[in-house]
This record gives sequence, structure tokens and C-alpha cells, in this order.
Amino acid sequence: MILSTGDLQAVILTLELALVVTAVLFVAGTPIAWWLARTKSRWKGPIGAVVALPLVLPPSVLGFYLLLAMGPNGPVGRLTNALGIDPLPFTFEGLVLASVFYSLPFMVQPLQNAFEAIGDRPLEAAATLRASPLNAFFTVALPLALPGFLTAGVLTFAHTVGEFGVVLMIGGNIPGITRVASVQIYDHVEALEYGEAHSLAAVMLIFSFLVLLTVYAWRPGAKKA
Amino acid sequence: MTKDQIQARFLLNWPGFSLDIDLTLPGRGVSALFGQSGSGKTTLLRCMAGLERAGQGFLSFKDEIWQNGKTWLPPHRRPIGYVFQEASLFPHLSVLNNLQYGRKRIPEARQTDLDPIIDLFGIGHLLDRKPDRLSGGERQRVGIARALAVNPRLLLMDEPLSALDSARKQEILPYLEKLRDRLDIPIVYVSHSPDEVARLADYLVAMNNGKVVTHGPLKETLARIDLPIRLGEEAGVVLDAVVAERDPQWHLAKLDFPGGSLWTRDKGIALGRRVRVRVLARDISLACDNREHSSIQNVLPGEVEAITDDEHPGLALVSVKVGPSVLVARLTKRAAHRLEITPGQAVWLQIKSVALME
Amino acid sequence: MKTIQILLLTVCCLAASLAHAEKIVIAAASDLKFALDEIAAEFRKAHPDDTIEIVYGSSGKFFTQIQQDAPYDLYFSADIGFPKQLAQNGFAASEIKPYAVGRIVLWSAQMDASKLTLKNLTDSSITRIAIANPKHAPYGKRAEEALRSTGMWASVEPKLVYGENIAHTAQFVQTGNARIGIIALSLALNPELAGQGGHYLIPDTLHEPLAQGYIITKRAADNILAERFAAYVDSKPAREVMTRYGFTLPTKDK
Repeated sequence: MILSTGDLQAVILTLELALVVTAVLFVAGTPIAWWLARTKSRWKGPIGAVVALPLVLPPSVLGFYLLLAMGPNGPVGRLTNALGIDPLPFTFEGLVLASVFYSLPFMVQPLQNAFEAIGDRPLEAAATLRASPLNAFFTVALPLALPGFLTAGVLTFAHTVGEFGVVLMIGGNIPGITRVASVQIYDHVEALEYGEAHSLAAVMLIFSFLVLLTVYAWRPGAKKA
Repeated sequence: MTKDQIQARFLLNWPGFSLDIDLTLPGRGVSALFGQSGSGKTTLLRCMAGLERAGQGFLSFKDEIWQNGKTWLPPHRRPIGYVFQEASLFPHLSVLNNLQYGRKRIPEARQTDLDPIIDLFGIGHLLDRKPDRLSGGERQRVGIARALAVNPRLLLMDEPLSALDSARKQEILPYLEKLRDRLDIPIVYVSHSPDEVARLADYLVAMNNGKVVTHGPLKETLARIDLPIRLGEEAGVVLDAVVAERDPQWHLAKLDFPGGSLWTRDKGIALGRRVRVRVLARDISLACDNREHSSIQNVLPGEVEAITDDEHPGLALVSVKVGPSVLVARLTKRAAHRLEITPGQAVWLQIKSVALME
Repeated sequence: MKTIQILLLTVCCLAASLAHAEKIVIAAASDLKFALDEIAAEFRKAHPDDTIEIVYGSSGKFFTQIQQDAPYDLYFSADIGFPKQLAQNGFAASEIKPYAVGRIVLWSAQMDASKLTLKNLTDSSITRIAIANPKHAPYGKRAEEALRSTGMWASVEPKLVYGENIAHTAQFVQTGNARIGIIALSLALNPELAGQGGHYLIPDTLHEPLAQGYIITKRAADNILAERFAAYVDSKPAREVMTRYGFTLPTKDK
């Protein structure tokens, strides 16, 4: 075995986290991207900027503020308390929530671009052909934006896999629950276990490369050579 | 009164553009919205489709109200077909799926057979292709067919030929003429081309700066030189005629219209067929007497009705009654002055060229 | 002629002043922050023209970096094992001087830890306990040793959350996300944390000693300022500051 049990556990946890976060963001990010692409409201700029904020905030800073927010004195913490839910820091669910914030722009921006590229005309045509706005979204906008969905999904997945600063701040590094691969590699380096660090890093790199390669080669609508 | 008409009243105010319309269109035949770019004709069409929402608007179609102060029917609930300037076919669907897109969404009871439409536009061999593998003309034919496939009660066409070159235009115009002849439903046709309007329209609405300048049945409106319709080189009249005679020796055909006859090239049209004839003002000259030794064979007697200035300061338009019909001639003002052209005067019209629209 | 003389004089003066103004960069373990800042401030008063910069971080990270020629002139490590290793590898320019023996404490922002002992960690009301990562943080290793030697590790381990360094661990406790934590004495004595709650000093018999020491790096072998600073840290006024922050002197027997 190239990887120890602990390392393998970290890898599996990382993949779980990335898949869950990508799935959540597909559902949550699509309406936001659609609105941003189509609205003429004056809130478009401010909301677009808020969505892009995680891009400029240092991850550990974001993680720190999320820690405060999810803690017993923060707004989210108080909400979970009131609802009788266990506090979010140091849990997988907490990581998912934090990662959703952190990876939001990676899902929304490519989708927004794809929706904008469609323009108004196909949807107007659909309307004149008896399609309600919702129906037009699913039968015209979605298929035309499919490459955008692919890009958004891949970016979000990859970004979550590589996430470190946020997880470090609020994860608590609990094996099997919040000890993701990036933190595991970091711990190896900190403990001067360079051999293990190299192995795990190599595995993550090769795996990610293969995933990206498969996805990009299989892109629907990609022109055959 | 409103049972068989379309009534539209729209008031729109955008930065740099406004629309102020109060219009009644006939419930049958082709009504053309004619004007330059920016005159508001496309906006009016879009308002009728529900693609633009005029804050203050009223639209009734025969006995249905589609928009008034209280209600506004969204476009997907209006029984319309819409043809865009550039086909706008769905790139991810084949031609057949494009045609079926709208058709699937109407109640089964109203669905019509696709085959006649496919045949009418000659697109049967294109059904499996995706739009990016069609020529411009083919795409536009599919676009029109797609709009018809939803069995609309009103067909709206936004400059369907503008994006095509003249060869494609000539290719598709016959399809549109066939459409006009066979379709029972009203068609509203936006265009800035006098030629298209002359060939297709029954009712003319001329627009400028977001307002209606004049409207009325096509032939009458074209003959009214007192109206500020900018037709330029295309100024002229349209006449309803019948093929009365064919001369095989000279390959000519005689067309009878109310008030006279015109000889033109024989295009093989059968005797007794009704046709539209277009006579441009620049092709008519006036004479005070009948010159028989001239190459111009079409000479008609008539009475001057009115004279107005044409666009160029040196030119004038003269409308002349020939029986119940009115023809329009273009002269230089100097010629009009020398011939002392005045209303009521008897003149001879020398018609050099006649365009048969078939 | 006169211009050249003036020019030469200026150059000589500049060279002389440059020769006097020196600079040192110190790498220090994070738990030393408050103590070392104060010591450096006093030292600067006596050396107004010199530059003293301090970088705080994890001892292990500095250990690695110094061997990669990182520009540190002095190295204060929370685990004396690192400077010892550096000396063996030829990266030290001085003897290893111990500066403290670190102690671990229980601390909480929500309860008064001075009334608790390690046994209380098994209480069901305590759902999360923060310690530094034993894998690479010296304070974390000692925390684990103490928990094991009291036989509590098995029951307490499921409740543990791990901070990357001792400051990060304290953050978990400060924000209330962990109800209690095992942190460095030096941090608990800091006014900000002390103001939020008292601490319980964990008996040093329960764990290996946390000997902490410092060296002058090979790179600063000829740096007079480095020598002066190293000597100052060992002097009486500096030792008083250290003690005040909980960095107790190693006894003569050790």
C-alpha cells in the first residue's frame, strides 16, 4: 500500500466533501447565476460582488470568520442552537457549509457566463413556441449552457479538493470527519515526515489530473479532431 | 365591429425612443408595418407578441383581450407564431425537433399535421440536420415553418428577409406569397423594403419615430402622394389585374386592370389568373398628346389628380386617375411647369416598364 | 580639490554609520510572542540605530527553513530537540541555551478552569476539547502524554479537536467552539485570555519536560548584534519578563 490507512481515509473524506459540495452548489448556484445573468435590477452589481468575495478573501481569514459565526456566540451558531442542531464547527456538515461559501464563485461565475452567452433570443423564441419560462429554462437554456455546467462543476470540485485554509480553521483536524487530504499532507510536512507527504501529494495530483483529463476529453459538443 | 379586427394601443417611453400607437388592423390578410430602422415597427410587433411589455397598453385580438389595464397575457399563452429576423433556430435540436418544439406544447386538439408545412417550404430533406449545417435561406424557411407548426391564430413576422442576400430573398418570397394565399389567419409583417411590401401586403401601416404616419389598404395608400411615406426610388402603385390575353408571337401578355390594360412580358401565367402589378413612378412619363411613334407601347389616357413635391427639390410626383385606378408619375418640376400640369388636366401616361408580381 | 575632499569625507562617514547600524531577524515559537516582544522593546532602547525583527511561527517550520538557508539569525524553539538537531547538522553558531521549561494548562473561556482538574474532562457536559496536534506540535505531544498517563486518553479522544499550533488551539477555546482546551501556560497568562478565565496547571510529572531553548544560527556567526541580543535574553531583566509570562527557568538539576 502506498498510502497508510490514515492517508486513505483522508483521501476518501476529501472526495466525499468535494462531491457533496459540488452537488449542493449545482442546486444553490444555478438560480443565483441565472438571476445574475438575466436581471436588469440595480442589485446585480452588488450581489455579483458579494458572490465574488470569497475569491479575494484569504482562506484562513474566511475560515476564522466562519468559525466565529458558527460558534456559540455567532449568528449561525445561535441559529443551530435554537433549532436543536449540533454546532457546526468540527463537523463534516460544517465543512460542507464553509466550502459552499468558499467555492461559490467557482460555480456561479462560469454558469453566469454560460447563461449570458445564450442571450435573450433563444428564450424569446421558446416563449413564442408556447414554452413557459420554467419550461424554456430546462429545455433551451440548460442544454445550451451545458459546457458551462461542466466547467463550473469541475472547477468547484477541484477547488474543494484543494481547500486548505478554511478547513484548517474550522475543521479541527478530526480523523475520518474533518481531516482532509490537504491537511493530512500539511501535517506530514510539519512532522517532518517527508516521505509520506510526497506519496500522498503525488496520489492527489495524479488522481485530480486523471479526473480533469477524463472530464475535458468527454466534453459534450467538443469538436472531433 | 371588433369581432374580426386587431386593436392595438401602446404607449412606451424609453430613453431616446418612444412608441405612441393607436391602431386597428384587419383580421385577415397581410398587414405590413413599414418604415425605416428606428421607426418602432419591430417594437410594435414585439408588443403585440408580449415580448415587450408596454406599461400602458391595450391589445385585443378579434374577441379576446390580450392586454389591458388589468390583464397581460404572457407570450407563451398567446396563440401566435413569431418569425425573427435571423431564424433563431435552437442550435441543440435538429430541424425536425425544432419544428416539433412548439407543436408538442399545444393541446392535441389543436395540433396540425406537419407534413403540409414541410412540403410547402420544401424542407423535407433537411429534417435530420442541425441548424449550423443549413444555409441562410434554409434556416429562414425552417424558422417560418416552425412558427406555423404551432397552428397560430396570428402570425407575426419581423423582417424575415432582411438578413438574406437578394438571391435568397427572391428564393423565399414565393414561399411567402404562397403562404399569404393559403393561410386563413392574419399576418403582421414588418419590413423596410417597399418591394416586399408591394408584393405581399394587403394593408399598409407606415411608421416613423414611433408613430403611425398613415394606414390603409395597400393600393389606396400607395397612390396617395400627399402622405409623407418615404419610398424614394420605390415610389409607385400596385394594381390588381387579370391576365386577359397572351400573344405567342411577341411573347407578351395583356393585363387588364380597372381602367385600362398593360402589356408586359409573358411569364407563362395562365389566362384568367389574378395578379398584382407594380408600376413605379420613375417608369411613367407624361405627355400632352399621344405619341404613337415611340418605343413605349403602354400609353394610357388619364386625368391629373394632384401634384406634390418629391424628396429631391427638382422633382415632383403627379397622381393621375385612369378610370377608377390611380397611377403615380415622377417628373422634374421644370417639365411639370413647361407642360403646365394642373389638377383636372387630361394627359397621356407613357409607361415604360411594368413589374408583374407573381 | 575641495569637492573631492568633501565627497570622500561623506563616504567615510556613511560607511562608518553603516558599520554601526546592524540588523537581526529572529525566528521564535508562537507562544513567545508577548514575552519576546517586550524583551525586544527594552533592548531596542539601548540600541536605537539597530533593526530587530521577530518572526513568530511553528518551531518545526523554522527548523526546516533554517536548513534551507532561511534568513534567521536567532532561533527560539519550543522544543529544544530542534536546536539540538541543528547543532548536529552544523547550523548552529553558538551553544544551545535553554530559556524555559514549558508548562501546559487547562483553560476555558466559558468556565473557570482553575476549579477543575484533568478528571473533569470526562464530564458529559464537555463535548469538545481542543489540544494542539500531537503529531507535530510540542504542546500537543505533552497534552497527549498527560492524558495517557492519567488513563483518560481512551475516553477523551473522541471529543478532541486538533489545532495546528498552540495559538490556533487557543482560538478554538476562545471562540467557544471547544468548551475547554489544553494550551500553553504562557498563553493562558496573557492578559486577554487571563481576563476571560483562570487556568489549571497540569502537574509536570504527567508528561515529558518541554525544554525550550535558543541558538545563534551559523549564518549570524559574525553578527555582533546577534551575540548581544543572545546575551541580553539571559540577563536578569529579560529573565524577569520571561518568568512573568510563565516561562519558568529550568532548575539546576535539569
